[in-house]
Amino acid sequence: MTMDEQFSVVDLSAIEAFIWSEAELLDQGNLRQWRDLFAEDGKYWLPASWQQQDPLNHISLMYEDKMMMAIRVENFGHRLAPSMQYPLRCSHVLGNFRVLTDSATMITIKSNFQAIVYYQEQTLFAGTYTHQLRRLDNGYEIVEKRVDLINCDADHRSILIYL
Amino acid sequence: MSYTSLELQRLVEPHRVHRDVYTDPQIFDLEMERLWRRAWVYVGHESQVANIGDYITTTVGLEPVVMARDKNNRVQVLYNRCGHKGAKVVTQRAGSARVFRCPYHGWTYRLDGKLQATPHACGYENTDFDIDNPCFSMQSVARIDACRGFVFACLSPEGPDLLAFLGDTALTINNMCDRSPQGEVEVAGAPLPYMHDCNWKMFVENLNDAVHPMVAHASVGHATRKVVESLPEGSPVPSEAEIISPFGGSYEFFDSMGSRTMPYGHCFMGGKGSIHSSYSEIAGYMDAMQASYGEQRTTEILSQQRHNTTVYPSFTVKDAIQIVRVARPIAVDKTLVETWHFKLKGAPDEMLHRTITYSRLINSPGSMVGPDDWDCYRRMQQSLHSDASTWVDMRRYLGRNEPDGNVHVAPGTSDESVRNQYRAWCDYLLDEAQ
Ligand SMILES: [Fe+2]
Repeated sequence: MTMDEQFSVVDLSAIEAFIWSEAELLDQGNLRQWRDLFAEDGKYWLPASWQQQDPLNHISLMYEDKMMMAIRVENFGHRLAPSMQYPLRCSHVLGNFRVLTDSATMITIKSNFQAIVYYQEQTLFAGTYTHQLRRLDNGYEIVEKRVDLINCDADHRSILIYL
Repeated sequence: MSYTSLELQRLVEPHRVHRDVYTDPQIFDLEMERLWRRAWVYVGHESQVANIGDYITTTVGLEPVVMARDKNNRVQVLYNRCGHKGAKVVTQRAGSARVFRCPYHGWTYRLDGKLQATPHACGYENTDFDIDNPCFSMQSVARIDACRGFVFACLSPEGPDLLAFLGDTALTINNMCDRSPQGEVEVAGAPLPYMHDCNWKMFVENLNDAVHPMVAHASVGHATRKVVESLPEGSPVPSEAEIISPFGGSYEFFDSMGSRTMPYGHCFMGGKGSIHSSYSEIAGYMDAMQASYGEQRTTEILSQQRHNTTVYPSFTVKDAIQIVRVARPIAVDKTLVETWHFKLKGAPDEMLHRTITYSRLINSPGSMVGPDDWDCYRRMQQSLHSDASTWVDMRRYLGRNEPDGNVHVAPGTSDESVRNQYRAWCDYLLDEAQ
């Protein structure tokens, strides 16, 4: 992929805006609307290994389809969950968007992110997002959001929200 | 100041334990000295060092160690310390090497730890340096043994051998391996580490605590039920729901599962039935099992349903779902929990997929079950400093257990497994001899 090809994408700024608004829904803790951005066959993937190839035969921190996302929406902030009895806030910063693949129906776009999560203490997560988006008449839907943490294989404490 | 035997003895009563066992750094030091150096502690699985030169690094208690397969095809467990100035020799979590070379002054060691060469050796002439003296080696731990490929180390030359130590818990390890049509398991990939802000015993005690799931894990149970009920009528139950739902089981369900205790602080829940009993069958697995073992033996193997088996203090295993969790203590209030996943050799890939799914849903730092346990441990670790009371209760179903062969059986929600752990704890801690 050359620089020219990247800039040939006409809707790059619309796609960036879509991904920014996705991150903002996480910042707002609005998992219900966030889930709606995913396609019916959409997946969220947070690998536990560097350059992990396989979500089925190797453990991940998270690998969720829309049904699991629905369970998480119901569980998030649930008054009976001991882990949910604390404020949880995050702030995402995104940048360095680059297009990996592009076709009439699908686009894969990678970006760098930093997410500061305040949950009992403040934690900085950083890495890359790889979004596979399906083009719709009136926008996009997420087929897969892959989050590669630079410390994916570190000794993590609890991760209570999608990054 | 350290604890006298009498002072240690006073920390444990039949029905309660003093909070200092969770909060006092001096107790932690004594545990590392007297318990973690004397018990058999899990190191790793032989499949992680399948070939000559393969190694992994980990800890036994607070001791950094390397497990390696040497030139004679023997598995070694070595202290990860250079015999020269004491630098850690190997820092990679796993890898393969012909020799171990300390990057500081270049001392090199054979895979069995023996010192092989030191640069510019003329400087040691006319000193009592002796390349064959083990004190200059990467020293071997006192004892190493394995059960079906699961390697344990004991830092003390004395005490029971591994099989005597494991006792009836060896049947859980055997059962997990027998669930492979080839009778063998292998590690599937890197472990999942999860840092806990609690004393190691809180994690270990919770494994067989059957009065917490219906409370601490109620929310994910409700959430799962709500979502499953909203699926179109006639939808198959998703495997995720099959895994999560039993965590909301009733007190009666867990009581009937039963808790079984044995010497050295070990225990397990279940036996003929557990929270893993009602998983649906995976195509092709039964056929492969019956082709290997015949119908009767297959039924026998699959009817053993133990939930968590705890080999005190470090190793816990779920045979029916092929998951091992290991407690690695770091400080009085800090414990690393590692989850390892095992592939049943000769079984369909879907069996491993279920193992991985289970772990992601239950054990992962990003799951909706583990973080609730994690938070409860942390709450205890923080609030035990309160002087409102200095005792922690463990009297559920006190005295209500019966011998059954080599084990004692209690109702599943009994605290007997915890009381049994503290009996072992006292045996280790009150023995001052080194
Ligand atoms: Fe739990």
